[in-house]
Order: sequence, then C-alpha cells, then structure tokens
Amino acid sequence: MASMQEIVKRQNKIVYREGDEMIKVFNESKPVSDIFNEALNLARVAEAGINSPKPVWVKRVDGDWAFATTRIAGKALDDLMAEHPEKLDKYLKLFVDFQVRIHSYRAPLLQRQKDKYTRMIKSLTDILDATTRYELEMRLDGMPNEVEVCHGDFNPSNVIVGDDGELYACDWAHATQGSGAADAAMSYLLFELEDHTKAEKYLDLYCKKSDTPKQIVRNWLSIVAASELSRHREDNREFLLSWIDIADYQ
Amino acid sequence: MPQSKSKEKMTEVIDSVESLKVAMAEMREAQQVFATFSQEQVDKIFYEAAMAANKARIPLAKMAVEETGMGVVEDKVIKNHYASEYIYNKYKRTKTCGVIEEDPAYGYQVVAEPMGIVAGIIPTTNPTSTAIFKCLISLKTRNAIIISPHPRAAKCTAAAAQRVREAAEAAGAPKGLIRWISVPTLEMTNELMRDADIILATGGPGMVKAAYSSGKPALGVGPGNVPVIIHSSANVKVAVNSIIHSKTFDNGMICASEQSVTALDDVYDEVKAEFARRGCYFLKGEELDRVRKTVIINGSVNAKIVGQSAATIAEMAGVEVPKKTKILIGEVESVSPSEEFAHEKLSPVLAMYHAKDFDEALEKAKRLVADGGFGHTSSLYVHPTRQDVIDKFKSVMMTGRILVNTPSAQGGIGDLYNFKMAPSMTLGCGTWGGNSTSENVGVKHLLNTKVVAMRQENMLWFRTPEKIYFKRGCMPVALNELGQVMDKKRCFIVTDQFLYKNGYTKPVEDKLDELGIVHSCFWDVAPDPTLQCAQEGVKQLRAFEPDVIIAMGGGSAMDAAKIMWVMYEYPEARFEDMAMDFMDIRKRIYIYPDMGKKAYFVCIPTSSGTGSEVTPFAIITDAETGVKWPLADYELMPNMAIVDVDNMMSQPKGLTAASGLDVLTHALEAYVSIMATDFSDPSALQAMKLVFENLPSAYDNGAADPEARERMANASCLAGIAFSNAFLGVNHSMAHKLGAFHHIPHGVANAVILTRVMRYNSASVPAKMGTFSQYAYPHAKERYVEAARFCGVTGASDDEVFENFLAKINELVTHCGVPLTIAELGVKEDDFLATLDEMVEQAFNDQCTTANPRYPLMSELKELYLDAFYGRPATSYEA
Repeated sequence: MASMQEIVKRQNKIVYREGDEMIKVFNESKPVSDIFNEALNLARVAEAGINSPKPVWVKRVDGDWAFATTRIAGKALDDLMAEHPEKLDKYLKLFVDFQVRIHSYRAPLLQRQKDKYTRMIKSLTDILDATTRYELEMRLDGMPNEVEVCHGDFNPSNVIVGDDGELYACDWAHATQGSGAADAAMSYLLFELEDHTKAEKYLDLYCKKSDTPKQIVRNWLSIVAASELSRHREDNREFLLSWIDIADYQ
Repeated sequence: MPQSKSKEKMTEVIDSVESLKVAMAEMREAQQVFATFSQEQVDKIFYEAAMAANKARIPLAKMAVEETGMGVVEDKVIKNHYASEYIYNKYKRTKTCGVIEEDPAYGYQVVAEPMGIVAGIIPTTNPTSTAIFKCLISLKTRNAIIISPHPRAAKCTAAAAQRVREAAEAAGAPKGLIRWISVPTLEMTNELMRDADIILATGGPGMVKAAYSSGKPALGVGPGNVPVIIHSSANVKVAVNSIIHSKTFDNGMICASEQSVTALDDVYDEVKAEFARRGCYFLKGEELDRVRKTVIINGSVNAKIVGQSAATIAEMAGVEVPKKTKILIGEVESVSPSEEFAHEKLSPVLAMYHAKDFDEALEKAKRLVADGGFGHTSSLYVHPTRQDVIDKFKSVMMTGRILVNTPSAQGGIGDLYNFKMAPSMTLGCGTWGGNSTSENVGVKHLLNTKVVAMRQENMLWFRTPEKIYFKRGCMPVALNELGQVMDKKRCFIVTDQFLYKNGYTKPVEDKLDELGIVHSCFWDVAPDPTLQCAQEGVKQLRAFEPDVIIAMGGGSAMDAAKIMWVMYEYPEARFEDMAMDFMDIRKRIYIYPDMGKKAYFVCIPTSSGTGSEVTPFAIITDAETGVKWPLADYELMPNMAIVDVDNMMSQPKGLTAASGLDVLTHALEAYVSIMATDFSDPSALQAMKLVFENLPSAYDNGAADPEARERMANASCLAGIAFSNAFLGVNHSMAHKLGAFHHIPHGVANAVILTRVMRYNSASVPAKMGTFSQYAYPHAKERYVEAARFCGVTGASDDEVFENFLAKINELVTHCGVPLTIAELGVKEDDFLATLDEMVEQAFNDQCTTANPRYPLMSELKELYLDAFYGRPATSYEA
C-alpha cells in the first residue's frame, strides 16, 4: 500500500487514492454490513445508469475493512464553490439540475426511504421522548410512497465535476428510493447548517426546477432533522432539535 | 351471559399489538351482544353515560391541562360539558336501533345496524371532550369503540373513556365495549385501524392519511385555517369581541378557531382600535419576526406554543407584552405559505390583513383556505341584511361550514350559535380536505342501514277527453256547445284538401256561422303530415288567433292539428325534447306544457281507425331531415271528440279495411299490454268484438250498412281509449317500420303480422318479459284466450281457443283483401332484405315496444319479419 496517498481523514475512515482507484479504509466503529451496503448501493445506482464511481472491491486490508471504487478525475463542487464564489449561482444550478436528474432514475432494489427514516427515528430513544418520536413516525407514515432514487446526503462535497465536463455523485452510503422532496429537504438542511442564504437559494432553485411546492419539502424537515440527529454530530444538536419539536395541524 | 365470561378474561391493559388483538376480539364478542339491545336499553345506557361524563367535566378538564400543559381548564370544562350535554340532547330521541324509518304506503323501511368496532383516534388539543363525544355516539349506535389517544394526552383520554364506560356498564351495557390503548405506538394505531370496522380519526393530516390508507372506511377530518372577513357593513364591536371570545377559547386550540382577520379599508382602523381596546397586542417591527419564528418552524407549528397563552408565547419570542394580553396580532400582507402568520397557529396568535374592498378580501380568504384549511370553516361579519355579500361569500368559500357573525371556534362545533347545526367534536372537510364527509360527524355516520323494499304496484290511471260525443247526426248538436255554452268567438279548422274540396267541412262552417263564430280554415294537410306543413298552418293560426281549433279528417289531419295546437300555444317548445322516448310516461324527462290556455281543441274523425280523436299521440315528419317525431303526452289529448258516422259514410273500401284492421290491432295490443288495467280492458274487448261483428259488412256494403259503419266508428274510438291508457306493443313497432320503409298502409302493415306477433307474445317461456311491477309473470296467452272467448271463439282447451282465434283473425284479414305475407304486398325481396336490419333496430327502439308483454330481442324481431315476409310456417317462438 505504499503507493496509497491519503486524501481525507474522517471520524471512522480514511480515504486514499491509489492510481485510478479511491479506497476508503474504515476503523472498527463502522459495522461491516454498512460497508457492504454502501458497496451494494453504489453497484445499484451505477447499474441504474447514474453518473457515479464504480465499485471495485471490498476486502480486509491490514485487518481493517476497505472499499475501493473507481476514481473520477475532476474536482469536487464544494471546492469549486470555495474557489469561485462569484460562480455560486451557476454551480448551485448545476447541483440542482443533477439532483433532479438523479431523482428521475429508478432502482427498485434500493432500500425504502421511509424504512430507513423510521429506523433512524426509532433509534433516537436517548435524545427524543416517546411522544416526539410518535409525532415524527405519524408524520412519516402519512407521507406518500415514492420510488425516486435519492442520494440521501446530497451536498456539493459529494458532487464531482469531472474533467470530461460531466457531473458525478459519490458517497452513496445513505441512498434510498423514496421522495425526491425528502432528499431535497436533507440537502437544504445540510446547506442551512453551513449558510442560510445558500440554503434558501438552493430551495428556490430546487422547487422551481422540480416544480415542487416548498411546503412539500418543508414537510420533511422535521423528519430529515431527526435522521441527521441520529448521526450524533453533537455540534448541531440544538439546532436540529428546534426543527423537530413541531405539532401536526389539528 | 357473554358479559360475565368476558369479565373474567378481559385484558385490562392494552400496551402491545398482541394485547390489542386480544382486546379487540373481546370487544367484538361484547359488541355482538350489544347489537341485540333494544332502543330502550340503548337510550338508558346513553343517558347514564352522558350524565357520568358530565359530572366528571371539571376533574377531566384539570387532568387534560395538567397532562398536556395546553389550554385553559375553564374552557375545557365547557368542552366536556358540551360533549356530554349537547350530544345527549341532540340524539336522545334519535332512533338508532331496528326500524328507524317506515313508510307503509310505499312499502319502505329503513333498519339501522351498528357498524361494529369504531377506532377512535383522539387528538391532544381536545382529548377528554373528543373521547366523551366519540364514546357517546358509539354507545348510541350500539358500536364498540377502541380509543387511540395521543401519547401527550393518554392518561386524561383514558380517564374520560373510563368514566363513560363505567356508567354504561352500570346501566347494563356489555362489559368492555369501550377500550383504549394505554401507551400508543404507530404500530398499535395502525393495527387498530386495520382491525376496526370504521375509523373516526380526529387529528392532523398524518393521522388522517394513515386512517384513509388503512383500507378501512374512515371519517377523517382535516386541518382548519379559518379566515374571517369583516365587511364594511359589519357591527365592528360585535365582530371583534366575537373573534376574541373564540380565538382565546382554550388558548386557540379548536380547529375551527380564527387564524386570520381581513378587515375592509373603511373599517380597518376601527377594527384595530377595538382589538387594542379589548386587550389584544399588535406586534411591532422586529417583534413580528420574532413571533413568526417562534410560532412556526419550517411551515409547521412549534409544538411548544400550542395551546399556550399570548403572554407565554410572547415571552418565548422575547417580546414584552402585558401579562393579560389576549391575542398577539401580526399585521401582515402576504397570504402565501411563506408567511408564517398565514398558517394555522393553534394558539392565540392571529394574522390581520387589510383589503381595499370585499373582492380583495375574498381573494385572500380563498387562498388561506386553499393552502391550509380546505373544506373546514370560514367566517364572515356583515350586516345581516346584506344577503348579496353573504351570497358572494358562500359561493366562493370552499369550506364545509360558513359562519356568519359567529365566533368560529364555538360556532363551528354546532348548536351553540346556530341550533340547526349538529353538535360535534369531529368536523368533516369533504373531498376538499380528503374526507368522506363534509358534515359535522354524528350518529348517522356510525350506522349501517338496511332498506327493506316491498314490491309495490304502480299507480295507474284512466284518461280520456273530457267530452266524447257520439251517435249518427250528433255533430251539429255537439258544436252548439262551442257557441252557446262556451261562448267561443273564433274557430280555426284544420283538414285535408280532399275533405275541404268535397264539402265535408261545409256543415261545420255553416254551424259556426249560425253560432256567430268567425272561422278560418287550413286545408292543406297531406297524408303523413310534415313539420313544414304544420308550420305553414301555424302561420295562419297565429294570424287568426282562434279560441277554438277543430281538426276534421283522418289521423293525419288530427295529428297535424295537434302539433299546430302545441306550436300555437307554445312557440318555443322543441320537438326533439317532446319526442324523446320514455320508459314510463310519468317519469319522462321532458314535461309538456299545459295545453288549452289559448284554444279549446275539438276532433271530428272522418275515418274509423286511428282513434286519434281520443288519443294523446301525434306523429309528424320533418321533411327536411326525414326524421319522424312521435309525440305522446296527455297534454295532447283533445278536449272534445265528436264521433258522427255521417262524416265517415263514404270511406273507400281500402280505407275501411286498413283502418278497421288497425282498430283490431289497437284493441288486441292494449288488451295484452303490460299496462292493461280493469279500466282499459272493457274498451279493448268491446272494440274487438265490434270489429269482428261489423267489419265484414262495413267492408262489403259500405254506406249501405250504416249500422255496421257506426259500430265501426265506435269500435275505433273505444280502441283509442284503450290504447291511450294501456299503450300498444311490438305489432305496432314493427308495422311502423314496414310503413316507413316500404310504404305499406299502416292498418295493412299491422294486419299482415298480427297473428304471428300474437303467437310470439303468447310464448310461456319468452326470452325476456316486459318490465312493469304489475306484470308479474308471462300471461299473454291467457289474455288472448280471454279475448277470444269474449269474441265468441270456442274450443276444447285454451290452446284450441287460441288457435281458433288466430284462424278467425286471419279469416277476417283475408276477407278484407289483405294478404298474409309481406311479399304479397308487393315488397321486393332485395329491398326487404336490404332494409331488414335497420327496420329491426328501429322497431326494437319504437316507443310502442316498451308496453309489449314480451320484451323482444332484436334477433327475434328479425325472425318475425322474415317469417311474415316469406309466409313461413309459424314456429313456437318459445325461448
């Protein structure tokens, strides 16, 4: 592994580049099933025809589980946004167009979005009381059942502008089939954690491009906030909680 | 007794899907016993349960506020009081068991049955009162109810249900009819909705959608976003104080509470001043934004502010307001969902809008309803005399409740400010809100009904012209009446060229002159009269403006005159409408205008056949399109018929034969019609008897046997009376088409198929029989045999009499020179076959077909035509 070049280090993984491959090496805190699931997700979306890296292998490397994919030659969209703040509007438009296009794909074997969110809400026993979880589950249960491919963590750092001029989405660990509006709600929330103005711009563009009323996206915010909360990122906790404690209309 | 059995094993705490399933099985058993209870038993239980709930209203209200941390104890007391007393009062006399509606004259009963197990979903906002309400209406309807409370209000909801349950059981209800989930989960709520028979869901959209997607019928209700308009004509003091009274009620948690006020320009300041004077706080500058962000989060209500006081909410938002502030009011402009104030706020927070006029206010209200409260409630303050404003408001608002000058929270639930509106804690929002009802939900929504319908017979009738004058030489005497009794001044005569030119109308005209009645005459009616001819006549008719019309002639002149009479009286009447076929003349879509307003109508027949002088029928052909309009309605019946054989003496032989056989067909068809009655039968029988006795001589001897002629005139008129009431049948349907397609005289066309149709009708196993309540089973053959015997035909058996009757008819037909096959009438085989399918379909669709005792298949009509064409031996025509 001498040729491996470390790209980024996260809580439970280190990402390396090795030639034309990208390799994520996970530590013990990552369940093995999650790693295989991510590989499976990636295989499914690649087969569906979505622009994304291709899975190469999953195996043990020096005692740690690792997952290799092809490498997309290009630049991450968040880097481009940082480098060219004057082109923010253009980049956001590319980002939204790509997201709406992804929603038009179908991958019938991907896990169901509502199942995933239900699981995440149920796991929040230490943070949310039973009443709030009940409200969230009720709200989620009443949401329509849809089958659009949703990335689940669609933010500019996961979008690569390839050297070939095409856009590619990577990191499909949270991919589901479900409501594009929920996926947009998650993107909006991720923007909001970073920059309110950008978040509003994003929502405007998304709703216009996909012809979705903003209320539909907003209806999902308490649910995606709960799902984000289940990732235990402590610094956002108060903010996320303030989005969760809402009452259904009577 | 199942009660004691279930007591032993009853699952007391429902806290898992498993225990829920066991409990519901127990409930089902208890409910089956309850379903056998009498109205008296049920009413006693209903009474005791309502009393018990009422007695517990204060402790239950306290519990609700304590547990949920929302609302106002004193207001919840009112809601509990209302849910017990008003619901009891409304339904105490309502029948919900056994026969609840009965109409013996119509043989009609409605029997009520319970639905089974009601799934009652109870919200946090009105937990105890909604529980009382749903338990009481379930008891009144002999249903069991399983309650799923909101987790935030689980204890007080259970306590309310328990009070009702204990009282019901003490009053004799089976044990365990009312149950509740102790700790609700989504799984249990879904399970409960799947297992129940009907879902009564009060709650937010999530809950309502879940109810509808459970696959069980649901009475779900949706959110409200009640807009109020204060019109310039309103009493501002009443309006503002009503709104405050309603909006502060239980801290604004009732779904029918006002969410926004739109005041028109000329009262805006006055409204604002009154709100301020009565303790409401208008948010200023930054305060507005702070309250916005506190009350609504991402388009949804912040759970922490629901049912809190204005001061508490202001404090949370960091806005300083007097402690006793009643409502926080935000003056805002946008009605779109991006404006937080435009949402339902479930708290004493109100949006206020300015509108330059009523139209702008309506636009705003419409949008607010569409975005958040479709189908729920809207409210208007206006001077009660301004019906125009109220009408406009009600036509535009898509809400199940439209309240005028009424506090909407209290007004929407019914019976407090309007006493016709049903009291309810569950308000339907119609399909606008995705609900199955737009009413205030009550006991009728929890009942299955069974309609018990006895076979009834149709009302029948017997209708004839008011005057039928007959006897040789009666015409001048009868005409006297027009002048001497009725004082008619202007008479219009309709006739044909032949009669006019040959002086047949002269005696009429002379008589009219003698009576001093001025007259005019239209004498251009041709056989098979056309619409164009009638229109020509009407021109003269309108110019002349008669007060009496005399139609003199055969069927054609009388039919044309009837049409001209309609056109004269009602120039705007449309023939397409009048000619529309009907199944039952009394249920027809088109209602004929009332005839006789302008002119009295007299018919004087000059041939003995059509009976048109006493029938309500007329046929006219549009020469431009070739379409025949058969008109039938008792309004077309002449007022006076004058049957004077002197006018018929010189009928040619052919006409005597054809019209005489037509009379026989009229009489036979009327006698076997599914609508034949004791009143029409005598005329039919006598008519056919007269035909058999007199037609041969009338045909052979003409004017030389005036007696036979006169009896034939009577026969024609009698048959007309019979078929005016009993109608005709397939024989006429088929003959009409033979006439239309192959120009065969009507009477001949009838005669050539007559005995074949009789054999066809008399089948004891017809493929289909006619539909009329009185016509219970196929019996045409028995009827033909009765008629035969009346006409003197004998035989050893019914079958023999029937065969002899057919032979007698064919003998008469032959005597009159009419052949027994269509081919012999000179119709070419190629022409016949080329038109056959069209004739069949049109004959099937002929108005006469509906009264035939045998409902024909088109294939059968085709066989009949072919048999009659070639003279094939008759088959049995049994199915």
